[in-house]
Amino acid sequence: MGGMHHSALRFTGVGALSQAILDLDGNLPETPLRSALDQISARLPILHGRVARDWLNLAPYWKLPRRAGGNPISLRVVDLPSDAAAEAQRLLADHVNQPLAPPSDHLSFLLIRLGNQRSRLGMVFDHRLFDAIGAESFLRLIDQTWQGNLDQIAPKVKLTEPAHLDHWSRRFRSGKLLNAGLLKLAEREVCALKMPAAGSSPRVRFCHASLTIEQTERFRQRAAAECGMPILLPSAAARAVLSLQHAIPIMPLPGQQYLVFTSASTRAAGQEWESLFFNHLSFLPFSIDVDPPQSPTALVLKLRDQLFEQMRQGIPAALQDASALVRICPHWLGSRLMGRMFKGRLCSFYFACLRETGFPERTFLGLPAVDLIHTPTAFAPPGMNLCMTTFGDRFNLVLSYLDGVLEDSAAAAMMGHFKSLLVE
Amino acid sequence: MPAHNTDAIQTQLCSEIQTLLSLPPNSVLPETSLQSLGLDSLRFVSLLIIIEQKFGVSLIKVGLRQQDMQSAATLAAAISAGQTA
Repeated sequence: MGGMHHSALRFTGVGALSQAILDLDGNLPETPLRSALDQISARLPILHGRVARDWLNLAPYWKLPRRAGGNPISLRVVDLPSDAAAEAQRLLADHVNQPLAPPSDHLSFLLIRLGNQRSRLGMVFDHRLFDAIGAESFLRLIDQTWQGNLDQIAPKVKLTEPAHLDHWSRRFRSGKLLNAGLLKLAEREVCALKMPAAGSSPRVRFCHASLTIEQTERFRQRAAAECGMPILLPSAAARAVLSLQHAIPIMPLPGQQYLVFTSASTRAAGQEWESLFFNHLSFLPFSIDVDPPQSPTALVLKLRDQLFEQMRQGIPAALQDASALVRICPHWLGSRLMGRMFKGRLCSFYFACLRETGFPERTFLGLPAVDLIHTPTAFAPPGMNLCMTTFGDRFNLVLSYLDGVLEDSAAAAMMGHFKSLLVE
Repeated sequence: MPAHNTDAIQTQLCSEIQTLLSLPPNSVLPETSLQSLGLDSLRFVSLLIIIEQKFGVSLIKVGLRQQDMQSAATLAAAISAGQTA
């Protein structure tokens, strides 16, 4: 995650930040929200921590301060007229595009109230502190704190991660397996959009769409029928690739494969509070031939077989094992080596498909929760993420892209085609 | 790979699912709905790979039906059928 943060900082200037936006029906008062954040901050010193390096075994770890003072979580409140939804959208986009500054360098809230009818709460978080599901669980923690349950939950939260750089031979074996896999992937040039010119510090832009409950259920059933089992990832990833192929003219660029990195949750079931902080993720790469264009069903089966093969080889576990080893390497060096291996094109885009949710509630501080979407900034070059998250019984889709990588019209076309392939 | 009877498969399968999901012992019963356990794509694939390794049946090749995936009991029946096929 440190490597991603470094690479995102280098390419986007905003680091590996993301924002979870909760849409609420009604006027969210500031006082109970601030009080809940103060209580959480006082109870969980992890929020006051920072990344440090253990000079004994060289691994980075999350260092807690000897004495935590104040509240490191910032909260800004903006009141707008009820018809200023577009302005609220702009402010929330600005919020995630601003680098976080100390003391609020991991977590920042923006509460926008639209008249007395609607509130939008944006929580920008450093991805080194949470993953997306952890962020949703943190929103749930705020609600639980408001309900007076912090004392029961806080003892379950794991406060620190040890550097734990042990089991050297196992980690080296994992590293060898992973390295061989990456070298094989890098043999064929990756088809990807061009990065914006060096030296510029472009903003991340977002394009959002939602599926209805009926559309989501229909897609779940189709995905299960296509894969022959109740899994979503191959069907969703296949349609993401087809929408890129359809909507964005990247074919004139040299490349023999689309390479899509997908995140994979490694969180144990029922460990919501224990795994609230830090990242519980691994990654799986999917390689898809650029030519000829493929039908969704044919592509789904290819991706399903790749998923099985990578799981058989233990790639997600090897990546986790080896990443602890790779942490010794300075991030600037790591990202440069990866860049050289892939000739500067690490992937066509990054795809996240979250079936789990950390926020199963339908209320927040007493108000009905209408929606919850994520606006992640771009991790890996070329700076394009497609994110599919669950709220209630339906999916939300967000395309994040660096200004300059995509035109807004191309992003809208890709999102429109992606949605149409999901709901057809 | 020796053939197992369905009861033995059920018991072993429940135990494998518990381990896979880090659940406490006896928390997965043969009738427990797999959907209620929150098996995501990766964990479901992991379960099928465990079944290949432990019972010698590739359910994906044999052909998995919607009703086979309801619970450990229905999966055990599919494994048993796959072993005798």
